[in-house]
Amino acid sequence: MNFEEKLKSGKFVITSEIGPPKGTNIMPHIEEAEHIKDKVDAFNVTDLQSSVMRLGSLATSHLLIEKGLEPVFQMTCRDRNRLALQSDLLSAAVLGIRNVLILTGDHTVLGDHPDAKPVFDLDSISLLKVVSDLMKGKDMAGNELDGVPYFFPGAVVSPGYEPQELQIIKMEKKIEAGAKFFQTQAVYDLVAFEKFMEKASKFGVPVLGGIVLLKSAGMAKFMNENVAGVNVPERYIKMMAEADKKDRPKVSIQIAAELIKGMKNLCSGIHIMPLGWEKYVPDVLDASGF
Amino acid sequence: MLITKLKEREEILSVLNSKNVFIFKCFGCKEVYLPEGEIDLLLTELKCMERMARVDYLCREEFTVKYLGKYADVLKKADKIVVFSCGVGVQVVAKCIPETPVIPGCDTHYINGFQGLTTQDVDCEMCGQCWLNLTGGICPITSCSKSLLNGPCGGANKDGKCEVNKDMDCGWVLIYKRLKLLGEEEILKRHSVNIRDYKLIINGDKKE
Amino acid sequence: MDYTKYRIKAEKEVREVISNINNLCIIWCKKCFSEFKEEPADECGKVVEVARELNIEIIECRGIDFLCNNHLTGKVLKNFKDNIPLAVISCGIGIQFVSNFFNGNRKVLALADSLPQSGNATSIVGYHGIALGEEKCAACGQCYLEKTGGICPVVSCAKSLLNGPCGGANKDGKCEVNKELPCAWIEIYKRLEKQKKLMDKNIDIRNYNIFSVEEKVRYVKNNQERRKEGFYGGLYPLEKKELTETIPLKIFDPPDVFSVFLSQHTGRPAKLIVKAGDRVKKGQKIGEPDGFISSAVHSPVSGKVIAIEERIHPVSRIPQVAITIENDGTEILDGSVESLTDWDKLPKERLIEILKEKGIVGLGGAMFPSSVKLCPPKPVDTLIVNGCECEPYLNADNRLIIEHPEEILKGIEIVRYLLEVSNIIFAIEDNKKEAIEVIRRCSENYPALKLETPRTKYPQGAERMLIKRTTGRDVPEGGLPFDVGCVVFNVGTLYSIYRAIYEGMPVIERPVTVAGENAIAAGNYIIRIGTHFSDILDTCFGIKSLPSQYELRMGGPMMGVLQKDVNSSVIKGTTGLLLLEKYPVGVSEENTCIRCGRCVDACPMELIPYYYAYYGQKCLWNEMVKYKVKNCIECGCCQYICSSKIDLISLIKKGKRNADNKT
Repeated sequence: MNFEEKLKSGKFVITSEIGPPKGTNIMPHIEEAEHIKDKVDAFNVTDLQSSVMRLGSLATSHLLIEKGLEPVFQMTCRDRNRLALQSDLLSAAVLGIRNVLILTGDHTVLGDHPDAKPVFDLDSISLLKVVSDLMKGKDMAGNELDGVPYFFPGAVVSPGYEPQELQIIKMEKKIEAGAKFFQTQAVYDLVAFEKFMEKASKFGVPVLGGIVLLKSAGMAKFMNENVAGVNVPERYIKMMAEADKKDRPKVSIQIAAELIKGMKNLCSGIHIMPLGWEKYVPDVLDASGF
Repeated sequence: MLITKLKEREEILSVLNSKNVFIFKCFGCKEVYLPEGEIDLLLTELKCMERMARVDYLCREEFTVKYLGKYADVLKKADKIVVFSCGVGVQVVAKCIPETPVIPGCDTHYINGFQGLTTQDVDCEMCGQCWLNLTGGICPITSCSKSLLNGPCGGANKDGKCEVNKDMDCGWVLIYKRLKLLGEEEILKRHSVNIRDYKLIINGDKKE
Repeated sequence: MDYTKYRIKAEKEVREVISNINNLCIIWCKKCFSEFKEEPADECGKVVEVARELNIEIIECRGIDFLCNNHLTGKVLKNFKDNIPLAVISCGIGIQFVSNFFNGNRKVLALADSLPQSGNATSIVGYHGIALGEEKCAACGQCYLEKTGGICPVVSCAKSLLNGPCGGANKDGKCEVNKELPCAWIEIYKRLEKQKKLMDKNIDIRNYNIFSVEEKVRYVKNNQERRKEGFYGGLYPLEKKELTETIPLKIFDPPDVFSVFLSQHTGRPAKLIVKAGDRVKKGQKIGEPDGFISSAVHSPVSGKVIAIEERIHPVSRIPQVAITIENDGTEILDGSVESLTDWDKLPKERLIEILKEKGIVGLGGAMFPSSVKLCPPKPVDTLIVNGCECEPYLNADNRLIIEHPEEILKGIEIVRYLLEVSNIIFAIEDNKKEAIEVIRRCSENYPALKLETPRTKYPQGAERMLIKRTTGRDVPEGGLPFDVGCVVFNVGTLYSIYRAIYEGMPVIERPVTVAGENAIAAGNYIIRIGTHFSDILDTCFGIKSLPSQYELRMGGPMMGVLQKDVNSSVIKGTTGLLLLEKYPVGVSEENTCIRCGRCVDACPMELIPYYYAYYGQKCLWNEMVKYKVKNCIECGCCQYICSSKIDLISLIKKGKRNADNKT
């Protein structure tokens, strides 16, 4: 079963993430993914995350396919205009990539090339619509395609975003534009997540709850202050703060497992964003009972 | 609206220190803020004030030509002309004296569209397809850092501030609040996908 | 060329937008940057048609000049009927302004699209300059014009290439995007060839991270604050005070011959009471007030009347009667010149009568008889002492405050006694630090006097603006300071009141600033009334006649009257005499208005001056009256700021005169 079929079958799916390096040294990342391929259903490949110039997600996704892993090809609207976006989608299709995750993307000024011209010719919703249209054999200008691609398009949603209604409206528009699954921003507050899912589940589109491994109390505080829609409860910050440096991964795994267990009955799967701690993903999954 | 800023000091010095330079300085206008005081300080310091002509509306060619006539003698001897104005003024002078190198003394910065003749705190980017009916009268192109047309990117922080600049409100949060006040949130739910037509900009130059 | 910033949406979209509503108000902007050839066409016709078809009742439909002028438009919007959807036809600024004005309390519909101003996709928006020329600036923040011979590659190249042509131009050197446009890089190449310069070899890459929100916010705020500071509109012209501000008042040597005009004040000219051949003494009355609004004139010198003749009057600039007196050098005072120390024992009417006899008029320039101001028809609670002197160059009042504060304070005492006011506000603009210090010190033992030091802004010295700035009160349209309980006196007037009472001296001299680029003896002089301009030019500039590249102004550069005849002479309203170099581009009544909107922005009377250009040029005086030309105070802001250099003040004066003649 591929990722799409698993989601449709109702299996609780698990996705993880690969952040391509700044440079060509991609193999260690692929190997790490291979380690856990039995437990993880698909791997997101990020597209110049945080607006930092890196190896591209298209090539990396293709390498994953060669190794027998299933990628979720992430695409942002920051760096390409509508011609390049459509062309890259076609390229992805011929390389065997089916799963695409469409995002607007961070602004260029937040990354390591703040002088760059931000494109944002399209945004997440319009790009999702473009994906849908390509699947119907038409490009944006209405021209017929010679060879029609197939995609399983997804999008992101941020459960902790305020005002939440605005986020729900946007989620609905994304579904309308063609999103078939959602991965969420990091979730730390299960009560709030449950409330969000009450509304989100009405749409009948699978949602994968986001898990980001906490590395320290400082990181938690930083995210609370700076990352939109993220709210790490005091309790977790305290647990991280009280742990010795060497015990921190253990505590972090424990927290992640607690969250994952709590999410099992709320959503269709989880999406783990290890942010460099890929090596602990197996432990997280073990601790969560997978 | 535009802001002009003096170029790097070294860059200006290298030009102004040569002997046969003549200088034009625009009055500046409300559309273009010109740091006249700073320019004067620099020119006084370099003892260049005598080689400078202050021209009202340098961008107005018919007026500028008259000024050029008045200074014809000095201009003939000048091997460089430095112009303190927005980019329009520099180009007008360059066009009128094509045989002499014209050097801009300022960089011109674009500040988020047109602010109206009276410098409003709202901006219009003149995109040619007004979206304001869908957004409660708040422009998504100028009030959103990414000019998103279909809703927020999700990057705003808890206080509804933009990811690019914490001093800036997220345009889409403002739009949402305004539509709520108007009781028109359903506009947001209308599932049309808005896409900009950039061809309007290319052809929008009053060719019709 | 039309740089209008909007066009009405396509009919289909209009239909969609206004469907589902029952009634509608429409406002449309009369547009900016369009050559002003006729009254702007009614833009809402199409919308009205569609509305009628959809059975939507149109409650109100109104065109507004410069919808983006928040101050003026705000006043109109306040009066729109509640709860009726308001359709706005304007560029995005106008629509957003109206939306923000109602802030969610009213449905605001956008019925127009703004028009992109740039022909270039990469630069998004360019600026075409105030003059509506062909050159554009993309405001990229990193000017390349030096390297490209003054042709902008960002705007002129369809791809905004910085490092040379793309190779897409055809054989004729035309751009691949538009065959009508030349390839910018070929143009650059040709231009550089002319300048014998090589193409720059550096590789340029644009930095797109230049826009700063902080900067924009600061700039916009600063601009808005400046416009609304104290009163709406106004300007901040170059002050040029430094030329004479530290030069003490000096007595200008009385010349041999004087010419004293009978009209030295608002109202009827004085009645002549001397004839040629009469001997007169210094301070002797030679003209009798003729009616309530009139004033006396006096001989500035002891001597002989040698002629009663017509001369060019410095204000009206038409021939008017002047008394020419030959100075006998004896300086013998007239018997009427005697001091009156126990003035506060006199009945008020008598005291006012004395001031009228002494020829006291407003010395700030308007020359309104002070006796009239001292009999206010309505109760007055505030006396404002006008020490603003907001005109550039002028320092006469400034020096007077610095050198004669005690005398001015005594003058204030007299006026206070007459008007029985409780509040006294002494207003000095903040660019006169020394004068402020002097008055601060003096006012320490004068608790009733409040010193105000507003930031310098022109025309703050005008009565209405000063009242608004210092008391917040708005003098009603067509009203006078009395209507809001105020009386304004210029410091010079107060000084002359002091002298009239304490020394018995009528107004026979006044402080005058003489300045200009080529002055050999610029300064602040006490000059006798009737001194010929030629004598002053001779002493202060060393010239006998007017050089052609200079212009002579009586008063400041803003409101000062241009003088053609140096045989004209100093009158009571002569605040300054400036000999200024003419600009290569002078004002003209014929220039065409481009509706840039600056005059509307600058007019402190909240008028729309460009209509005066339009109707004045067509001699449609009644239309000018309709646009309230009579409210104009002729401060000159509109003309100063006019981007077409239209001689608005002349047109306005014509309009007022002709409208008066008709009625």
